[in-house]
Amino acid sequence: MIESIIIVGLMTSMIYALLALGFTLIYGVSGVVNLAHGTFFMIGAYMFYLITGGVFHLDPRLGLIAAPVVVGIMGAVTYRIIIHPVIRDEVSTLVATVCLAIATQQLVLLGTKGLFMVPVEPIVPGYTTFWGLALTYSSILAFAISAALYIFLWIFISKVKVGKAMRAASQDLEATMLMGVNTTRVYILTMALSTALAAVAGISISSAYLGVAYPYMWFHPLALSFAIVILGGLGSIKGTLVGGFIVGYAETAVKTLYPTSASIVTVVPMVIIVLVLVLRPKGLFGKRIELEE
Amino acid sequence: MVTTYLRRAYSSFLAHVVDIPPRLLAFILILLWASVPVFKPDGYTLTILVSTNIWAIFVASWDLLVGFTGQMSLGHALFYGIGGYSTALLFKYFQLPVWITIPLSVVVVFSFAIILSYPALRVKGPYLAMTTMAFALIASSVLYIFPEITGADSGVRKLPLLFPLKLFRREGISALESVYQQTLAYYYFTFISLVITLLILYKVTHSKTGIVLVSVLDDELASKASGINVDKFKVMAFALSALFAGYAGCLQVHFVSFADPGLFALTFSFLPVIVTILGGIGTIYGPVIGVFVYQILNEIFFRKVIKIPLEIYQAKLLIFIAVILILVIKWPRGIGRFITDKLKDLEEARDIDERGPRIWKTYKKKGKKIGVIARVRARLKK
Repeated sequence: MIESIIIVGLMTSMIYALLALGFTLIYGVSGVVNLAHGTFFMIGAYMFYLITGGVFHLDPRLGLIAAPVVVGIMGAVTYRIIIHPVIRDEVSTLVATVCLAIATQQLVLLGTKGLFMVPVEPIVPGYTTFWGLALTYSSILAFAISAALYIFLWIFISKVKVGKAMRAASQDLEATMLMGVNTTRVYILTMALSTALAAVAGISISSAYLGVAYPYMWFHPLALSFAIVILGGLGSIKGTLVGGFIVGYAETAVKTLYPTSASIVTVVPMVIIVLVLVLRPKGLFGKRIELEE
Repeated sequence: MVTTYLRRAYSSFLAHVVDIPPRLLAFILILLWASVPVFKPDGYTLTILVSTNIWAIFVASWDLLVGFTGQMSLGHALFYGIGGYSTALLFKYFQLPVWITIPLSVVVVFSFAIILSYPALRVKGPYLAMTTMAFALIASSVLYIFPEITGADSGVRKLPLLFPLKLFRREGISALESVYQQTLAYYYFTFISLVITLLILYKVTHSKTGIVLVSVLDDELASKASGINVDKFKVMAFALSALFAGYAGCLQVHFVSFADPGLFALTFSFLPVIVTILGGIGTIYGPVIGVFVYQILNEIFFRKVIKIPLEIYQAKLLIFIAVILILVIKWPRGIGRFITDKLKDLEEARDIDERGPRIWKTYKKKGKKIGVIARVRARLKK
C-alpha cells in the first residue's frame, strides 16, 4: 500500500508537473488562461494513437517524438488564428478557449465515428518488479522523459536567449518590445512549447497508465494543472514542481485508498483548489498568484 | 447610384425603425412572445419553448453576475442544480407541496451562494472561473458520494408537477389535448416568471446599484476609493444571480418531474457563455435573445422545418461552436452588443451631423419624426 503510493505517486506527479508547466508557461508569458490546455493533452494521446495504431502503424518510440511535434505545430497555428486576435480581452480569451475545447471534443467524437475509447499502445512493452510492485517499462520511461524535459526546460528558460526573452516578456512587455524582441513570435513559440508539453503528458498518461484515449479526457488534466498552478504560484517553475508533487501524491493516495469510486478521484484537484483559496489565498509560496489588491 | 440609394434607405431605417422607444420595443416583443400559443404550435415545439423560457431565466441571471460585475462564472449550473435538488429532496423527505418547496429551495440557494461567495470572491478572472467550475463539479460528485440520499445516477424521480394533469382532465377532452393544455399552462407560468425576472434584473442593473456594479467592473480600486463597500455589492450580485438561477432549476425540475446529476452538467454551465456571444454581454436582454435564437435554430428550425439529415445534425454542436468561435474573434462583445454599439455610434454621428445646418434642416423640413433620445440629445448639445 504505502510503497505503491510512494512509487506511483512519484511517477504520476512528475508527469502532472510537466503538464502544469506548459499551462503556467503560456499564462506567465502572454497572460492567456488556456482552458484548452487539456485539449492538447487529449490531442497528444490521439495523435500517438493515430501514428502507432490507428492509421500508420509506426514504431511507438517514433510516435513519442513525432506526436508532440505535430501537436506543438497545431498549438502554434491555433494560437495565431484563434487566441491572438482576442488576447487583449480576458473574457473573450476564456470563451474562445472553452469553445476550442468543446469543438475539439466534438471533432474527435465525429472523427472516430462515436467511438468512446480507442486503445493506446504502450511505448515499450513489458514490465519489471521493483519493491514488490509491477512497474511497466512505459511508466518508467514516461517518468524519465518527464523529468528530463522538466530539467531541460528549466535550463532553457533560465539560460538560453529565447528563454530569457520569454521571461522578459512575462515581466515587462513594453520594455521587451523596446529591446527589439518580436513578442508575437515569442508568444507563438511559448504556445508551441506549452502544447507540446501537454502532448507529452497526454501520451505518457494514456499509454502508460490508462491504456486508452477518450474524447472527454481533456477536463481532468485542465483541473489538475489549474490546481497545481494555484498551489505553486504563477510562472514559478519551482512552485509548479512542488505543486505537481502535492497534487499527484494526493490523487494517488485517494486512488489507492478508495479504488472503487472513480468520482472521488476527479474531485481531488477541485477540493485542493477550494482548500487553497480558503486557507492560503496567496498560494503556498506567497505573492506570485494574482489576487485582488 | 446604388450606394446613394442604400445610404438613403439606411438613414430612413435609422429615422423610423431605430427610434422606436426601447420600452415600446420591449412591450411589442413581450406581446409577440405571449401570443405564440395563438399560432397553435405542436406539442413538441411548445415543450421546447417552455424549456427555453426556463433557460432564459438562467442565462439572464448569469449576465447579471458576469456582464455587470465582471465575475466570470463557468459553473453557474451549480445554483441551477442546487435549486433543483433542494426542491426535489424537500419533497422526497418532507412531502411538502410544490408551492412551499420552491420558495424554500430558493432561500436555500440564496444562503448557499452567500456562503460560497466567501471563498469565491477572494479571486478574480480566470481563477474565479475555475473555482466556480470546481464548485459545480464537487457538487455533482457529492451526489455520487451519498447515493442513498440523492439516488446517484437515477436521481430523484416522480416529483409533483406544478400543474397536475388532473386539473385539465374534463369531459369531452382527449388525453392528448389535456396534456397540451398542461404544457400551455407551463408555458404561461414560465413566461410570466421570465418577464418578472427580467423586470427585476433590469431595475436592479439600471438603478444606483447597477451603476455601482459597473463601476466595480470598470475599476475596483477606484470604486473602493470612492467609499463603496465593493465586497458587499459583489456578494449581493453573486447571491441575486444565484437566486434566479436556482429558481430556474426549480421550474425545470417540476416541469420534467425528476432531478438527476445532469442538472450540474458542464455543458449547461457553458450555455450562457455561448448564447451571450449571440446576444451581447452586459445587457440582461442580450443573452435572453441569444438563448431564444439558439433554441429556435437548434431544436425547431433545423429539426422540424428543414429536416436536415441525421449525420449533419450530429455535427450541429461542432458547427455551432465553430460559428461562435469565429464570432468571438470578430466581435468579442457579442453580435447584439456589436449592433447596438454601432447604432449608438451612428446616432451620435448623426447628432453631430444634425448640428450642422444641412441635414438638420432637411429633417425639419420634411417633418420627419426624430427619436426622443436624439431630440433630447440635440437639445442638450445646443
